[in-house]
Amino acid sequence: MTDSPDDRNAELRELFFESARELLQSLNEQALRLEKAPGDAEAARTLRRVVHTLKGDAAACGYRELSELAHELEDALTLDNPATDGSVPDIALRAADLFGEMLEAYRRRKKLPSTHALRQAIAGFAPKAATAKGKKKAAKTATVRWSEYQQLAIRQALAGSKQVYQVSVQLDPECGMPIAARQMIKVTLAGLGEVLAVYPEEGAPGPRSKLEFALASEKPAEQIRAKCRIPTIALNAAVVVMRAEEPPRSIPVPVVPAVEPDPETAAAPAAELAAEPPRPLSVETTSPAPAASTDNVLRVDTAKIDNVLNLVGELILVKSMLQQALSEFSQRFPKEPLRGKFSDAMAFQARVLNDLQRSVMKIRMVPVEQLFRRFPRVVRDVSRQSGKDVNLQLKGQDTDLDKGILDTMAEPLTHLVRNAIGHGIESSEERVRNGKKPQGTLRLSAYHQGNQVVIEVSDDGHGVDVEKVRHRAIAQGLLTSEQAARLSETEILDFVFRPGFSTAEEITELSGRGVGLDVVQSVMQRLKGTVQIETEAGRRTTFRLRLPLTLAIIQALMFRVEQRLYAIPLNTVLEIARAREEDVHQVDQYEMLQLRNDVLPLLRLGRPRLPGVDSARRKFFVLVINGGDRKFGLMVDELEGEEELVIKALDDQSISTDLVSGASILGDGRVVLILNLIALLDRFARTRPDGTGSQRSGLLLSGTDRALQVQTMAGGQA
Amino acid sequence: MSRETHIVGFQVGRETYGVPITSLHEIVRVPEITAVPDAPSYVEGVINLRGKIVSVVDLRKRFGRPAPEVHRRNRILVVEHRGRLAGMIVDSASEVLKIPESEIESAPAMMQESGLECITGLGKYQGRLIILLDVNKLLEVRETEKKETAPEPAASQKGKAAAQSATAGT
Repeated sequence: MTDSPDDRNAELRELFFESARELLQSLNEQALRLEKAPGDAEAARTLRRVVHTLKGDAAACGYRELSELAHELEDALTLDNPATDGSVPDIALRAADLFGEMLEAYRRRKKLPSTHALRQAIAGFAPKAATAKGKKKAAKTATVRWSEYQQLAIRQALAGSKQVYQVSVQLDPECGMPIAARQMIKVTLAGLGEVLAVYPEEGAPGPRSKLEFALASEKPAEQIRAKCRIPTIALNAAVVVMRAEEPPRSIPVPVVPAVEPDPETAAAPAAELAAEPPRPLSVETTSPAPAASTDNVLRVDTAKIDNVLNLVGELILVKSMLQQALSEFSQRFPKEPLRGKFSDAMAFQARVLNDLQRSVMKIRMVPVEQLFRRFPRVVRDVSRQSGKDVNLQLKGQDTDLDKGILDTMAEPLTHLVRNAIGHGIESSEERVRNGKKPQGTLRLSAYHQGNQVVIEVSDDGHGVDVEKVRHRAIAQGLLTSEQAARLSETEILDFVFRPGFSTAEEITELSGRGVGLDVVQSVMQRLKGTVQIETEAGRRTTFRLRLPLTLAIIQALMFRVEQRLYAIPLNTVLEIARAREEDVHQVDQYEMLQLRNDVLPLLRLGRPRLPGVDSARRKFFVLVINGGDRKFGLMVDELEGEEELVIKALDDQSISTDLVSGASILGDGRVVLILNLIALLDRFARTRPDGTGSQRSGLLLSGTDRALQVQTMAGGQA
Repeated sequence: MSRETHIVGFQVGRETYGVPITSLHEIVRVPEITAVPDAPSYVEGVINLRGKIVSVVDLRKRFGRPAPEVHRRNRILVVEHRGRLAGMIVDSASEVLKIPESEIESAPAMMQESGLECITGLGKYQGRLIILLDVNKLLEVRETEKKETAPEPAASQKGKAAAQSATAGT
């Protein structure tokens, strides 16, 4: 059968899904363009071209339903200048959605969605154009689509001064075994010359009743035609000479009926074909315009890039091992002239390694545009649904961001955009009443700031009402009124990120179910980023998302607790202070430190303070951490300095813990653990004080440590 | 001639244990070990094995012995377990023993009943008794133990519980 799932096909399909996604994206884009500027012939042509390519690709992969639907759509678009019909963009957009669903269904091998509604829409739209054109035949086109490889073969044959024929064979509809029939014809033709190409390709569906061959042969056309008339198999055969001197035409093709596959007209195709002999070589030369800029682009599995990055990380490790060896060598042989040679080579190697690392990191970086380009469609749909007039502005699309982060950001950003239109921007009437422009503006912008990428979603709507959030938080039992009175505006605004929190009066399809912003928050936490709201009542709201440039490398601050080395992301550290044990205050089982005018809760990572005068004078460092909505201090024994760490996952089942977000290997081969501050804080808040009135300490102690602690304590008591 | 099994012999305490040579990835010296918070007490931590981070258990603790001081004869047996590497600290490991299959007896039923499923048999080699182990079973046991203690990670370890009672006493 046609869907033989062998490996080559599977690979082909993967490629197809990849390219189909892009095709759908440009389908969306062109449709939106056409909607904005009705009559834009260029957009209309591109639109058609995209649908056409999709059709061909889908057919080549054996996705008949998709191919057929695309075919119908293409027909509808081909019939007349579609730019004149206002419903074209709408249908194209709906089709894009449906195609997307179908692709997903194919990919997951699920049931296909119903195409009925769209088919009707297309059908309702086609006849109008058809009468305008007045040429019914054109409705059915089954364009022969030689693959690039086949085209090459044909071109080569032509260049080799052979006669190349295009043979179209009409199969007998009565013939019960089309596959065998096809094989038989192919064998027959092979006897006459060299079969360069067959359409439809083996295993691919297409108009099953008709086969097209490209044949290089020295025999006259008449003979070939005669040979092809095989009773009960082939009804008819048309043989046309292909000419080499036809230059490959540029992609847009005038709306011309290309082939005549309908059985009733198939009997005499030769003349028409002769009128357009170069078709197989010219119509489908290359990929459509949207992919034009991707000629030099290679698709690579991210896992492969990560693998290279890992290897680079290990090279860097080797570099520091060599450096250490060299310094030992220098100490031992201070007069050895080889030292200079070594260190020259090392310096050179270090420089190259640096470049190598940066280049590999860059591979993972993609422009934010890839993320932003989906939003014109989202904004259009949402604003239409909510009856609002919204203008979308995109800024900083060329900002680079790690591919992994970028992909993860799609969902939260969509939430924010829907939220901005649903909640933020007012209806035109209301805007005019408030003295604003009737059209609301939604702006997506991205830019680099230090080691971070900032993405902003801002709207010029009515802003977030802080008082309303405050009341809602109290009403939902998240706060007591006294607490609420004490919190700052920013702290209050953070409540909108709580699960289940919504300020919307009514629940609409768009937003207001209270689901959404907490998704944003949780994704940002996972990506080690932050989210902030800025709002001005009645004027605007801005959600500012800060993301690390990449997840693979962080700038870290390293410190020691109980002689052990740990690291935390440097950007979470607000400041570093020194203190003594005697400065620590005990407040209701929490340890606090007064730092200037603030009272800072402390997290004691190591062992509890031992009673005694000596320990009271013991000094330690306090890392003041920005924990999103509040600050807290980490008590650490020593600081080790900052370093750029290549993060490795610590995903072994037996040692997995949420306290550690990853590990890294230092130059001297030591392993350093990167702490997950949010989990640490969380654990700290949850841990019950252990009845001794002592502090919640020792979060970082391992089982071994605790056992040791028992020993020392027991020993101390004895 | 009967067939021989190639066994890597290692010492924990006074006993000699053996694992099939095919189940071993490599044997390395003990590098600096980084302790991991929340880990069960017999998990020593993680090491850097040529750029890979590998978790390490101490077989001496696993077999219920107090861990002696680190000695330079100590080794880590690196095995592959469920597609990833894991290390086991032993007192020493040096020899490859070729034990004829006829010299291997299955483990006494008593041992299997008492939860020592990781023992696959007992081998005799030049008058010595070698306890043959199944590495995967050995490591799996620790995973089930870990699971049992997982729900309350903060107070999961016996050590911690003991620590609490100890401090409560003060």
